[in-house]
Amino acid sequence: MKQLFILWCMLGGLTGYAQEKFTISGTVKSKRTGETIIGASVRSGNAGTTSNEYGFFSLTLPKGNYLLEAGAVGMALHTQSIVLDKNLTLHISLEEEAKTLDNVTIVASSKSRSLSSPQMGIERLTTKEIKNIPVLLGERDVLKTVQLLPGVKSAGDGNSGFFVRGGAADQNLILLDEATVYNASHLLGFFSTFNSDAIKDVTVYKGGMPAQYGGRLSSVLDIKMNDGNNQDYSVSGGIGLISAKLNVEGPVQKDRSSFLVTGRRTYADMFLKLSNDSTLNRNTLYFYDLNAKLNYNFGDKDRLYVSGYFGKDVLKAGDTFGLDWGNATGTVRWNHIFSNKLFSNTSFIISNYNYNISIRSGANDFNIFSQIRDWNLKQEFQWYLTPRNNLRFGFNSVYHIIRPGEVRPANDQSSINLALLQRRYSWENGIYATNTWKASDKVNITYGLRITGFSILGEGDFFEVDGNGKVTDTMSYKKGEFVKTYINPEPRLAVSYQLNETSSVKASYVRNVQNLHLLSNSTTASPTDKWVASTNIIKPEISDQVAIGYYKNLWDNNYELTAEAYYKDMQNQVDYRDGADVFINSDAIESQLLFGKGRAYGLEWQFKKKTGKLTGWLSYTLSKTEKQINGINNGRWYNARQDRTHDLALVVSYQLSKKWSVSGNWIYYTGNAVTFPAGKYRVDDQVVFYYTERNGYRMPSYHRLDLGATWTLKQRKRFSSELTFSLYNAYGRENAYTISFRESEDDPNKTEAVRLALFKFIPSVSYNFKF
Amino acid sequence: MWRKIYLNLLPVIAVAFTSCEKVIDIDLNDVEKKYVIEGVLTDEAGSATVLISQTKNFSDNNEFTGVTGAAVTISGSDGSTTALEEVQPGVYQSTALTGESGKKYSLSVETDGKTFTASATIPAKVNMDSLYITEDYLFGEIRKTANVQFKDPPGRGQSYRFIQYINGVKEKRIFIRNDDYTDGNSSLVKLRSPGDGDEEIKAGDTIKVQMLCIDPAVYNYWYSFLSGGASGDSNSASPANPVSNINGGALGYFSAHTLQTKEVVIQ
Repeated sequence: MKQLFILWCMLGGLTGYAQEKFTISGTVKSKRTGETIIGASVRSGNAGTTSNEYGFFSLTLPKGNYLLEAGAVGMALHTQSIVLDKNLTLHISLEEEAKTLDNVTIVASSKSRSLSSPQMGIERLTTKEIKNIPVLLGERDVLKTVQLLPGVKSAGDGNSGFFVRGGAADQNLILLDEATVYNASHLLGFFSTFNSDAIKDVTVYKGGMPAQYGGRLSSVLDIKMNDGNNQDYSVSGGIGLISAKLNVEGPVQKDRSSFLVTGRRTYADMFLKLSNDSTLNRNTLYFYDLNAKLNYNFGDKDRLYVSGYFGKDVLKAGDTFGLDWGNATGTVRWNHIFSNKLFSNTSFIISNYNYNISIRSGANDFNIFSQIRDWNLKQEFQWYLTPRNNLRFGFNSVYHIIRPGEVRPANDQSSINLALLQRRYSWENGIYATNTWKASDKVNITYGLRITGFSILGEGDFFEVDGNGKVTDTMSYKKGEFVKTYINPEPRLAVSYQLNETSSVKASYVRNVQNLHLLSNSTTASPTDKWVASTNIIKPEISDQVAIGYYKNLWDNNYELTAEAYYKDMQNQVDYRDGADVFINSDAIESQLLFGKGRAYGLEWQFKKKTGKLTGWLSYTLSKTEKQINGINNGRWYNARQDRTHDLALVVSYQLSKKWSVSGNWIYYTGNAVTFPAGKYRVDDQVVFYYTERNGYRMPSYHRLDLGATWTLKQRKRFSSELTFSLYNAYGRENAYTISFRESEDDPNKTEAVRLALFKFIPSVSYNFKF
Repeated sequence: MWRKIYLNLLPVIAVAFTSCEKVIDIDLNDVEKKYVIEGVLTDEAGSATVLISQTKNFSDNNEFTGVTGAAVTISGSDGSTTALEEVQPGVYQSTALTGESGKKYSLSVETDGKTFTASATIPAKVNMDSLYITEDYLFGEIRKTANVQFKDPPGRGQSYRFIQYINGVKEKRIFIRNDDYTDGNSSLVKLRSPGDGDEEIKAGDTIKVQMLCIDPAVYNYWYSFLSGGASGDSNSASPANPVSNINGGALGYFSAHTLQTKEVVIQ
């Protein structure tokens, strides 16, 4: 009601100074590739807007003559004078910033972070920015770059998993062209599923998530694939130490439609085959990714996109053990421009993640299969209501099917019985509306509400479990029957106040609700970690986050300083009983779980140099993350595993000459909280370890320097290529990957701690080309 | 198990890079001593044994002295109670007690004013049909492996443990199995673990295997012993003590089980 009132005041205010107004709308594109540009700024003087995720913009101004400026990351500023005496449709094409000039300028990000936008806790990266950062084995990786940002922490050495503001790895919503990616890692987590060649834009929300996003507590990582060049055919590719990639794109009909196909495959297993070591050469280990996209313009008002991703990992140990896993996603989207102020997008999305295990060991041959699949329909409207109000509203409906585990004997001789855990069905609905209101020249407010309903559907058995994890009652539901529906309102509020030309302060509050939970009880993320939906016992996880921030552009907008502080409260967090068996052959997974709460708070700083030969940033996070769960540490608050006090990253890139650029990054963080034994005792004629406290110790602090260099080879008219060199962990720090305890090998009368370090001085070279 | 295989592949991959293992110093806090009770009763005569000791600090040596002077009894569900005598410091035994399948036994330990109790039922005996050796491939090695064959009775709830001796030396590895996935079937258990560094079995060696039919609570103890990091490896994100069936706050377990032994000489 209050919002309606505000809206009424707004509209009322509008008539107050009735002046003839017209709207400029259209899309911003790259001139060379025809790719639409996300987040391009379109402005004239103080009035301005940014293009949405499909490149669309709408700007309403009083009648008059204007000098319109449009710009984006890595693009030259486009200026155009317009006479606004009627509504205009404008298709703006931006040229890529020329690198051939003597004074090389590189814009590492949009020149000024939007001081006026109320959105905070946001980081945006384009593949251009990812390009120069040295990485493990030369595989450019968006997830590893994201980890260098303040408030985002790596899940481990060389790992693509990440933690945001104290949240667990499963509390990140990872979207690829709007489709949820349930397992974003390949090969034991060392690589992400995102082939950087296929990616256009990466946006990370650490807090203050806009209302169109929901379903995870900590963060949203929204990844958009390239659409494909609609001007010209283009082939690019790369050959690195462990993988090769190829990208083909081009117009189907020039200006109207385009396609893109990108593939990547690792060939580390080829090296394993060459090895004489029989422990290696009979094993198989590889992954591949395939991204494909097609888009078509039906006139000026309609555009259709079809995109898909398919990736798979295959791992085999001789003939006895096989494990493969992978994601598949498909998205069909239809953009429709109802008017120069109303933009609509309809998406139909399928997400799938599954794994297969096969064990062949004589009489016990069997296969295990598990899957999570979503059918998802989204509708969103963006209504550029008035020059001061930008409204977004829509709904989202997802049907989840989880097959927690299906064990099947592989042949008649197998002693393993057929064991199918019950499929779990659920229906997740969200409706939302959010408005960004330019309340005054200095104050901008985004307010919105998302309401999510999560319905658990039959058929299946649901349970009551007592305090000891014993099942006390079983309730059976029929097919399609509603077991339980959780309805949660999620208010979102963000305010910005511009202090002056170069600085602003912002504050936000957001509530997030999560109904899918990942059960993972090992130090390494595993493809067999189990997704479970909320049940009558597993309640929706809820987080409330408040944050404040200060933003300052320095020295003619060449530098920027950001500081944010947050406090997050989390309810209904899931943990494990001592000795829990997540792979139990029972539908009552709840018998293995404990529930409690969490809190996280911290301060994040980033100092960034955005232009010039030298670009980069220094980010530092000071934070604390704790949990309180009855049944663990006597119900006291204790450090969560991902609690790290200090986290620092220095990222630097320097353009030496037209041919050479060098880069480096240095990372330091406090070790994770970890459980170490407090003592030892003897049982069954062996020394075993005695634990008194969960996460009572810390891993040693972690630090690492990576170096990189890019050599741009001779450019021909249509052909360009480059060589990229990198050295991971350049000073060979032995960072602890795990610490284990055992009876000493030298002196059986003693016990010792053993540190395993994985990556030390990993050099790599890769060759990339484009024509 | 598949999880373990997967995690064991990690070092294999890391070897392909430059992983390295190093003994390091870690300063671990000293800890208040806790009692450790290991009670065993089988269906063989004179087998009742209870070991009582205490925890030590990590930096101490591995000599664990027994706790003397405890009052230890085992009572059967028929009402009989047998006191165990201390035959060595911390070792309490009785030759008078023989366990029987189907009976529930309760252990009571009193020491230093504290009382610890536990109970376990000896399940019906399931026959070990055969013990034989096969040559198996795992992680690039062909190894001789002991196989135990038995027929699981219908109805879920059976739990087993196997103890392997090579030339009379007991192997440390814990082999357990229940019938969650193999109920009512002719079952085969291979006594090896993926990626382990066991003693290799060679021609001429004598392999002795004991098959124990154990209480499900004791299975749970060994299961959590293996998954919870009691042996010090750190795959678990939250290492914890095994889930004990002893009440009163002691570590360890009380197992009442059947026992059957077979031997084979490697050709």
